Amino acid sequence: MSRAPFAPSDEVDAVVIGTGAGGAPLLARLASAGLSVVALEAGRALDPARDYARDEEAQGFLFWNDERLSAGRDPVAFGRNNSGTGVGGSTLHYTAYTVRAQPADLRLKTEFGVGEDWPFDYATLEPYYDEVEATVGVSGPSPYPWGPPRTPYPLKPLPLNGAAQLMQRGCDALGLRTSPAANAALSGSYSSDGTVFRPACHACGFCQAGCATGAKGSADVTWLPLARAAGAEIRPECFATGFERDAAGRITAVVYRTPAGEERQRCRAVFLCAGAIETPRLLLLGGLANGSGQVGRNFMAHTGIQVWGQFDDFVRPFKGIPGGLISEDTHRPADADFAGGYLLQSIGVMPVTYASQVARGRKLWGPQLRAHMRGYNNTAGINILGDCLPDAGNYLELSDEPDARGLPKPRVHFTMGENERRMTDHADRLMRRIWEAAGARDIWSFPRNAHIIGTARMGTDPERSVVDPDGKAHDVPNLYVSDNSTFPSALGANPALTIMALALRTADRFLAKRGA
Amino acid sequence: MHCNMRGDRASVDKDTTATTAPGTGTATAGLRDHRYPDGTFAALIATPFVTAPTRAALQARMDKPPVIEPRFLAAGEFALLGAVCDHLLGETGERRIDVPGAIDARLAAGTTDGWRYDALPDDGSAMKRGLAGIDETARLMAGAPFADLAAADRERVIAAVAAGDPPGETWRGLPARTFFEDLLAAATESFYAHPLAQEEIGYAGYADARGWQAIGLDEREPREPEPVAAAFATSEGRP
Ligand SMILES: Cc1cc2nc3c(=O)[nH]c(=O)nc-3n(C[C@H](O)[C@H](O)[C@H](O)COP(=O)(O)OP(=O)(O)OC[C@H]3O[C@@H](n4cnc5c(N)ncnc54)[C@H](O)[C@@H]3O)c2cc1C
Ligand code: SF4
Repeated sequence: MSRAPFAPSDEVDAVVIGTGAGGAPLLARLASAGLSVVALEAGRALDPARDYARDEEAQGFLFWNDERLSAGRDPVAFGRNNSGTGVGGSTLHYTAYTVRAQPADLRLKTEFGVGEDWPFDYATLEPYYDEVEATVGVSGPSPYPWGPPRTPYPLKPLPLNGAAQLMQRGCDALGLRTSPAANAALSGSYSSDGTVFRPACHACGFCQAGCATGAKGSADVTWLPLARAAGAEIRPECFATGFERDAAGRITAVVYRTPAGEERQRCRAVFLCAGAIETPRLLLLGGLANGSGQVGRNFMAHTGIQVWGQFDDFVRPFKGIPGGLISEDTHRPADADFAGGYLLQSIGVMPVTYASQVARGRKLWGPQLRAHMRGYNNTAGINILGDCLPDAGNYLELSDEPDARGLPKPRVHFTMGENERRMTDHADRLMRRIWEAAGARDIWSFPRNAHIIGTARMGTDPERSVVDPDGKAHDVPNLYVSDNSTFPSALGANPALTIMALALRTADRFLAKRGA
Repeated sequence: MHCNMRGDRASVDKDTTATTAPGTGTATAGLRDHRYPDGTFAALIATPFVTAPTRAALQARMDKPPVIEPRFLAAGEFALLGAVCDHLLGETGERRIDVPGAIDARLAAGTTDGWRYDALPDDGSAMKRGLAGIDETARLMAGAPFADLAAADRERVIAAVAAGDPPGETWRGLPARTFFEDLLAAATESFYAHPLAQEEIGYAGYADARGWQAIGLDEREPREPEPVAAAFATSEGRP
């Protein structure tokens, strides 16, 4: 078995670009199969105990802060709202909701005649869901109240915080079923095969600013230690900028920048896992894999409207994992005037994040802002996570404005369609009723679109998709994509669990073909 | 002790917020008042409830001397930004959290927060043009530069900019509503990142080195002080 460190002149079996939800599991799988693999990661390697402050502003370094241009009628906020960087990618700051997609989510077109079907069914993903849940350590209810029966979660659910209790109160009053959510945060100390021992979550609530204890199932404490132990090399602060190819179109090396200068790593295959903005940006920069013209197209963002209220009860919304309670009763609402559906999640919130949303969403300033914020400790929220239909009019392009690295800034166009608007209105009405029933006052909504999805979609037809169902680019024989960009439809579920499951599948498909 | 404050009284100006209330924004104010006693932060930061990296980050923010000489904005622009931030943040006392200094430092460093509205120019140009626009609007609406206006006139000017249709040539090339949203968000984020502003809202989340056990409704741990003003505020924001 080949082991790190490798020299750039060594022809390694694979280079993996990006170490987030899509890159990290795949890296571990390829290394475990004995392949020589190098991961190039634009971000830094971090030591949570030493580097993480329990403070939102100080943790700004976890986010992808290269400027992106947000266009369209519903411009999407990036940075801390959407994209991270560092060894571990956006899993470093994800909230760790690990919701499974439901079988129907993968068949939207069959069910409603809009959107896209996935090129395989839920049963294909299921064993990978089981494996990911065991490796990252998901705490959740067993049995789970919605969807097909599933393997019990490895850990029991986490305790409910104030926001979760309030949402439970409101939903009980309206007859909506709720349950403690499945979260990749440990309700007890844990280690799965080959991973490091991790302590239980201590309810600090800082998941979105990075978990300093290791209780959260981010890639840096799960897949990446596995990958390293199996011989993978992870190179931080290495920003991939392009590819070298031979006459047959095969990639022969990845070109990247380090703090010391430009390098090229020779390789036999490339796995592009840079996330749904940087992946299409690299493909467009290199003029690669775009025979279909679909690279950058069909950018999607989950409908994610939040409804906030203030209560007589003390919530202290900074405590506990932010997303404690879930309801999937709205997966296919009986009175829906839209395709697909959504799920409901309770939300705790840190003060700067909340203040920022009050500024943008309420436009409160002066004494009213200060007075509203003095009610922070009595504040709780609910949000939805809803499907979003692919639309050719929502896309990413390269602008002619260079960024700090001298590369063109990406410009992302996003406008909610009629389906997203109707779903948002439906959810807004329902969440307001839940909060009224729970005793909230000063209820207000903050419409938003969360997660960055699509832009290099998967499909069987090379005219309409960028990669095949195994994640291999239709146009380049040794290029694979594994991240949020391959999703043909958004799914009514938070993406990270499915990205990780799909990453393992892509690795297995690659290994099977290689062995054949 | 230096404190990241403009002026010289070592606390957030607390009392003005509940009394002077020119109508702002679109909706009612908060219902509860959860202010912590003065000195809560100073006491907690020294305890083992705060991790070393957290203490370092927060103490640095507290100790940062106020910016006197801006590095990105011109002196006049910086003074205007100070007057605008005072109004947006309801700061009328002698000592204020140095939000304009933090904004100038970020513009000087050229760091972004990862995105901007395509409709706006780069952050630095937007700030310079927006400030010029606010002054132009102030002259047109109230006959004097913004910084020279009384609170009620400042409020009229800010409300016009926020509503997206203020008088003034400058705004032809800059969407006022979008600019205002970004400015208000930046000022608000910087303000509430400050330990003393966090003290005002009863936030103790930084004191979590040992985590929290009492996380449910109406549960409080011994290290979380009783608020000084747990009374209800009315919808006008008066306790
Ligand atoms: C605040 C927040 C909360 C979230 N909460 C949840 C949640 O609760 N549940 C959930 O399912 N999802 C959540 N998400 C979303 C989730 O984190 C992402 O969907 C997921 O991590 C995306 O995986 P990815 O592999 O596509 O990209 P990423 O995880 O972002 O990984 C991409 C990696 O590639 C690196 N990279 C980019 N370009 C280059 C380059 N040119 N060269 C080298 N490296 C490069 C980046 O630095 C990064 O490390 C949340 C996101 C945010 C912002
Ligand atoms: S709440 Fe738990 S999982 Fe989240 S950051 Fe804190 S310790 Fe980690």
